[in-house]
Amino acid sequence: MLFEVRNLCKRFGRIAALSDVSFQVREGEVLGLIGPNGAGKSTLFECLAGVLPCDRGSVECGDKLVRDVLFYVPDGIAPWPSQSVRWALEFTVGFLGGNASFYDELVDQLDLGEILRQPIGTLSKGQRKRALLAIGLLTRQPALLIDEPFEGLDLRQARDIAKALRIHAARGRTLFLSIHQIADAARLCDRFVLLDGGRVRGEGTVEELAALADGSGDLEEVFLALT
Amino acid sequence: MSKAWWVLLLAMGPLAGMSFISSARTYAEVSGLNGSAAGVGEALDPLSGVWAPTFSACELAAVFLLPFVAIGLVAGDRQSGALRLELQQGMTAAARISIKAAVLLAGWMVAMLSPLSAIVLWKTYGGSAYPPELATLTLGHILNAGLTISLAAAMASFTEHHSTAAILTLGFTVGTWILSFFGSIQGGWWERAAGYTPAAMVAQFQRGLVRLDVVLIALILIVTGLGFGSVWMRLGVAVPRRIYESAALGVLAAAAIFASTFLTPCWDTSESRTNSFSEADERALAGIHEPLSIEVHLAQEDPRRVDLESRALSKLRRVIPRVQLRYVAATSIGLFEQSNPGYGEIWYDVGGRKTMSRATTAEAVLEAIYSVAQVKPPVESDDDVFRGHPLAVAPKGAGTLFYIVWPAIFISGGIFLRRRLI
Repeated sequence: MLFEVRNLCKRFGRIAALSDVSFQVREGEVLGLIGPNGAGKSTLFECLAGVLPCDRGSVECGDKLVRDVLFYVPDGIAPWPSQSVRWALEFTVGFLGGNASFYDELVDQLDLGEILRQPIGTLSKGQRKRALLAIGLLTRQPALLIDEPFEGLDLRQARDIAKALRIHAARGRTLFLSIHQIADAARLCDRFVLLDGGRVRGEGTVEELAALADGSGDLEEVFLALT
Repeated sequence: MSKAWWVLLLAMGPLAGMSFISSARTYAEVSGLNGSAAGVGEALDPLSGVWAPTFSACELAAVFLLPFVAIGLVAGDRQSGALRLELQQGMTAAARISIKAAVLLAGWMVAMLSPLSAIVLWKTYGGSAYPPELATLTLGHILNAGLTISLAAAMASFTEHHSTAAILTLGFTVGTWILSFFGSIQGGWWERAAGYTPAAMVAQFQRGLVRLDVVLIALILIVTGLGFGSVWMRLGVAVPRRIYESAALGVLAAAAIFASTFLTPCWDTSESRTNSFSEADERALAGIHEPLSIEVHLAQEDPRRVDLESRALSKLRRVIPRVQLRYVAATSIGLFEQSNPGYGEIWYDVGGRKTMSRATTAEAVLEAIYSVAQVKPPVESDDDVFRGHPLAVAPKGAGTLFYIVWPAIFISGGIFLRRRLI
């Protein structure tokens, strides 16, 4: 086990965004966080990364600090908008302590060559997503939390990125991906945490989740049965 | 650095240039240029005649331009989402905001090259420049910029958007102006508090006066502003805890500011000794060991009281910090008190011996004090009198430097750096 989440709670006024969320993340796995819109997926990631305060609960990483174990890549941000993609990647290596040896490989895998000199603020949604994924994959933490890794990407790009993520997972990087497209999640992930209404409705492989749903079938059917 | 910084740099050239050209022309005319009465300018010193107005460009820029640069640098990361990535690096919020403040201050120093380059021009005209007073003026504007940066950083960390932070920062600055206005009417504690607003602080440095309490309070305010900024930049910390930490920081800062107000050391770095009596008078006053108290029957807004304060009492406090000063007035404007027989009287008391005078000049105040203290007035020496540095030369080349060369350097520099970065 790489880290364990215990009884995480977060409220926004009267709304309970997360209620006693508990699960485990294993080393080297690709874990999918699935759930309908508004389930609390992004809130959970932000609480885990420490960029949003949680009301109760903890993240246990053994004797390590959370920030040394996981790095979170939010969805829909355009960091350092006036700086180029190359600057952002170099900043990730220099300031965020990223792995410089992955630089060229990631530029190639994520097809960033043509946008390296472009300011981040001028990128399209898909280009920005690829740049953000590169930033995340450059970081040194063993676990990478990515919010909606396929958002804004076309089919070909989504496939290429899934392939790149698989390569990094095969090298031992733990990936925890928040995905609302169940088909994408089913293709890429080993296990799943199913979140709905701020609560964990299930955790495990498709078969384990199907057992929870009292039946068999694919992930989509399990999702519909449990949410 | 942001586009806002380049705009600030661009604006500083013409702003400082306009102030320098206009003040240097006036200085030249008063010194006898173009047939004006030569010799009038003998009492003019470059600090009040040229440098204070030229450096006032920094004050304008610090109020109206620098906040946007600071807010852009601090709040930009929050709005773009970069902060959520950077916070995961592990650097403390205090270190982050201190580095940003240092970068901003370095940027401000570059902007200050504009008024500083006027000194070089002035020297080429044959003008006199007295380094201690110039250093004091520069220090005042650096501290003022520090205050602006810390205020903007605090506001940018409280709010989600640039515009809200800008409104709050400018609102705070306008608030300090209202405090100054209120202090000049109400007097007392209001007046004392108004003495520590950025505008009042800069005014003292413009006269070449370095007061320890003012410098310390400015530094405390800068650290406090950056402290608030670092507390509120920690997005992962619960809001109630941030409120408690801010309250504790505020209480600590208030205590430190209150303690600093009792510090009296100050240094007059002006060549003309604008803020001091002559050295002989200071020696004579220092020889008075009995307690001195002065009772002034003048209203807060009476021009005579303003004269008395600026010409004599502010200088007297520097030599005898424990002087007891009491103002007596029934109204703030004094208009309807003029018929009161006691109105306008200034009573001096040294060891129970009293004397009264109505004059508000430095000479008259000193005469009254020497008389009541039974001290022989010192003999005035011609060497003690500041004769000024008249300079009847038009500011040639200043327009080209500030209106053409300066903007050209920063426009081309900005384009060059932009191309290199991308």
